[in-house]
Amino acid sequence: MLRTLSLALAVLVALTATPALAQDTLDKIKQSGSLTIGTRTGSPPFAYVNKNNEWVGFSIDLVEQLIKPEVEKAVGKTIKVEKKESAPATRIPLLTSNAVDLIAETMTDTPQRRESVDFSLTFFYTGAQFLVKKGSPIHGVNDIGGKRIASQQGSTNAKIIREKYPQAQLREFPDQPAAFQALIQGQVDAYTNDGIQLAGLKAKSPKPEEWEVVGDFYSEEPYGMAMRKGDAKFKAAVDAGLKNGFESGKYFELYEKWFGAKGEVPYALTPQVKAYLMKQVGK
Amino acid sequence: MNYTFKWSVLWSGQSGAWLLQGLITTLELSALAWLIAVALGILSGALRTVPFPPLRWLATFYVEFFRNVPLLVWMFFWYFAVPPLLPRFAQDWLFNHGAEFWAGTLALGVYHGARMSEVIRSGIGAIPRTQFEASVAMGLTTFQAYRLVILPVALRLIVPPGTNESLNLLKNSSVALTISVAELTFQTRQIETYTAKAIEALTAGTLIYLVLCLSIATIMARVERAYAIPGLISRRQAG
Repeated sequence: MLRTLSLALAVLVALTATPALAQDTLDKIKQSGSLTIGTRTGSPPFAYVNKNNEWVGFSIDLVEQLIKPEVEKAVGKTIKVEKKESAPATRIPLLTSNAVDLIAETMTDTPQRRESVDFSLTFFYTGAQFLVKKGSPIHGVNDIGGKRIASQQGSTNAKIIREKYPQAQLREFPDQPAAFQALIQGQVDAYTNDGIQLAGLKAKSPKPEEWEVVGDFYSEEPYGMAMRKGDAKFKAAVDAGLKNGFESGKYFELYEKWFGAKGEVPYALTPQVKAYLMKQVGK
Repeated sequence: MNYTFKWSVLWSGQSGAWLLQGLITTLELSALAWLIAVALGILSGALRTVPFPPLRWLATFYVEFFRNVPLLVWMFFWYFAVPPLLPRFAQDWLFNHGAEFWAGTLALGVYHGARMSEVIRSGIGAIPRTQFEASVAMGLTTFQAYRLVILPVALRLIVPPGTNESLNLLKNSSVALTISVAELTFQTRQIETYTAKAIEALTAGTLIYLVLCLSIATIMARVERAYAIPGLISRRQAG
């Protein structure tokens, strides 16, 4: 019995303690000829599978059109972009185990996460709001006392609700479809997530006119692309790609494509957000 | 080079309290589901062997229907598909009083009941048919024969595969996190959210499951020895 237990422990320790190969990301990309990104399949319009069964989105476009050219310049050859599915609970382990090189989805840049990974420049700025049925008594974060609120497991919003609004009954679901289903059926009174994700969900729902995104941002959610910690050369290439995008205006063209009036999810860029983004590149 | 282990996240902050809460929820969920599973398992396992075809068909239908659909689907079924059948006020009451937990318990219990049923049926199948015939010849009714002769022996025979099934049930309780039940796996993910230290959190969860399962296996091995009928089941003494 004891022997079995100690053997099991030894295996476990060996599994968790295997050090990641000491190799820098640019060398890895040069060798393999591909940049592997971790992204989502159900977070429109950042990263999702569309009606034609193509894996597309704003975050994926940023990688393919802005970051890829810079990485190609750095490694001196053409590369392809490989996509893998990631989720809040798996994205940091995916990076640290070298399964992916870059997380390009809807990951909020937080101080805790910065202890484990590095973040690129902020490429999108949003904040937490609520999705409710039209006519709901919930108009913002001050109305949620006693109400059943759905959130996404592993998200920053769930954390804020738990800590600052304990009077709400929090229900945490692993993905958007489950949380939205719970909202449709009345298991919960509202679903909280980053405003842009809720706008995306509403736009994609069968009857968008039945739903409303309400409330002021009760959190700040700057999205960044995450990469392995301490890899300065790779980070420089990623940031250079985004910086060029901001400066040349290519970023804003892509923004218009996805979030413009005719985009997948209309979500106008406010002057404050634009100023915030441009400030990162010293403009 | 990339990952710095920081095991202290497991005992600093609220992590310890969360793991404990998760452990308690996992145990509550598993224990209740286990009771449902054993009750349904014994009932349907016995019914599948009785000499009355309609009851056999009913039990076969239950077993084949519930064990051949993934547990995840059952979780969604009990949580999303069943409540709308109830009147609105009952739904609201349920949703305010832990509907997630009860849906998870039913999903787990009914699914594992179907699997437990097969284990029990195999136990009954291992008893020579003549025992049943002898019981009936002594003047016992079918029900009495099952309750007094067949089941007491069958339940002793199936302790090892039954333990296996119970451990599966315990581990499968983690699927309840998909319907927002804050059990152990859910809490390890929560620690990850707060600390961004996924490997440490998952390791803690793994160790807790491992210790739980090994303890149950040990207890069940003792139960098996304590209730063995001398001479009935010959078993090599395990070391």
